Amino acid sequence: MRRAAYLFGAAAIVALLPWLITTPYWRGILILCAMNVLLALSLNLVMGYTGQLNLGQSAFFAIGAYASTILVKTYGWNFWLASLAAIGGAGFLGLALAAFAVRLRGHYLAIASLGFAVITYQVLVNWERVTEGVRGIYGILPPVRNAVALFYLIAAIALIVYFVLDNLVRSPIGDTLRAIREDEVSAASLGVNGAIWKAFAFGVGAAIAGLAGCFYPGFVGTLVPDAFNIVESFTMMAMVIVGGMGTMIGPVIGAIVLTFLPELLRGFGELRLMIYGAALTLVVLFMPGGIVQAWSTLRARSR
Amino acid sequence: MIRAETLSKSFGGVRAVQNVSVSVPEKSIFALIGPNGAGKSTLLNLLSGIYQPDAGSLTYGDENLIGLPAYRRVRLGIARTFQKIRLFKQLTLLENVLAGFHIHHETPFWRYLAFGDRGRFRDEARELLAFLGLGEREGERAGALPYGKQRMLEIARSLATRPKFFMLDEPAAGLNAAEVDFLLQRLVDINRRGITLLVVEHNMDLVMNVAQRVFVMDHGEPLFEGTPREVQANSSVVAAYLGGEFAA
Repeated sequence: MRRAAYLFGAAAIVALLPWLITTPYWRGILILCAMNVLLALSLNLVMGYTGQLNLGQSAFFAIGAYASTILVKTYGWNFWLASLAAIGGAGFLGLALAAFAVRLRGHYLAIASLGFAVITYQVLVNWERVTEGVRGIYGILPPVRNAVALFYLIAAIALIVYFVLDNLVRSPIGDTLRAIREDEVSAASLGVNGAIWKAFAFGVGAAIAGLAGCFYPGFVGTLVPDAFNIVESFTMMAMVIVGGMGTMIGPVIGAIVLTFLPELLRGFGELRLMIYGAALTLVVLFMPGGIVQAWSTLRARSR
Repeated sequence: MIRAETLSKSFGGVRAVQNVSVSVPEKSIFALIGPNGAGKSTLLNLLSGIYQPDAGSLTYGDENLIGLPAYRRVRLGIARTFQKIRLFKQLTLLENVLAGFHIHHETPFWRYLAFGDRGRFRDEARELLAFLGLGEREGERAGALPYGKQRMLEIARSLATRPKFFMLDEPAAGLNAAEVDFLLQRLVDINRRGITLLVVEHNMDLVMNVAQRVFVMDHGEPLFEGTPREVQANSSVVAAYLGGEFAA
């Protein structure tokens, strides 16, 4: 019941937002924020719940964006059909990356997944016949007619994804993923096939990042590889950590804060990135469990 | 029930287990003793599938265990605890035990996506916690438990797999006298449920009180096997391990 109330409340806030924020610029930031929420949720499943240090998430975002756009523009597919194919493709490549995760742990997996992101980026730059390389693809139309509709669409999808993932992590599958995160040998001693479940988390996480990617080109109107360089992976990771890794609401809060913070700091001009970086460092230093844990500690103290 | 024939395992130049043949009778309590470095834990890791042997055969009932990974052996009814406790420290006691029911879930995962469900096995998990004396603390974090209680939680979690053959690696290590008594009682209770127990242990009071047969290892090799009384009377066992305490 309480979950239904929260979901209803969140839907109400989403519905109201475009009425409160009316300038085209800030409405654009809203759309970006909804997309970032999806990306943070996708990485959180792999990193927060399954404990796999994955620096390759930007690659799946890119694959979703490029696959859907190329299928629409070059092959004349319907957007929704193209998106389904792109999500499937991203999910499939997530399974491929999981093959590394079965053999590698911790830092080694981080390096391997980083390599995956670098390779993907290089393919986008160099496979010009298909991706147009650094010249980019232009004149991409959004699947809906205006910015408000696009925001509603992505935000509704983000809400559904949140609901589904929330069900997942509350189910026995959530127990299994957390068991792998905590101690894989111990999980195996309870009958958990770590390889299969890590592949599951990578696949689902990659598919969700691919889903977010489908909406990005229509929002920006152009598609260039630079939008998907590895800095994107680190930004997603920062959202997950700042909000609270391994909780459902944490990455959502992290995505909202880290989408709006750089915009709010624009008044500081050149100092902007320094303040942003300092804020990130301070959060990690003084709130290692992220905003969510800091909040619950504060609440416990005030009682 | 479980039968190993001339099992061997080396690490680099160290022959941790050499030519060990052992057979654990069904529904018994079987103890494995020997000095530190005798190869007891390695043998347990071979039986549970964490290591694969270099040579020898290993069967469980009619099943050949060679090549079978640890997680698949659990489905045959083989469970274990660890010498160095390996709990899911950030999870609660209840979540630890619930994770132990992994192999008993039959619901397809898409049903969880649509409806969510954590209700199953909760009652059974609570019964197991109560059985190991942890009934009041199900919401606490496992890592915050006192050491002795952590050992009990690990046993509860393994029992959630519903084993037929249960290996415990030094379950009494670090326990106080009252906790050892409680453990001893629980081992007998578990065995009465028809579960075969293999206990690696240094606590000789516990071994001599609960075990029907005792297998002694030294330097990776079998030294002696017999009833507790026979083991205490054997001069080579006394010389290698037991020392004066149990000398006849």
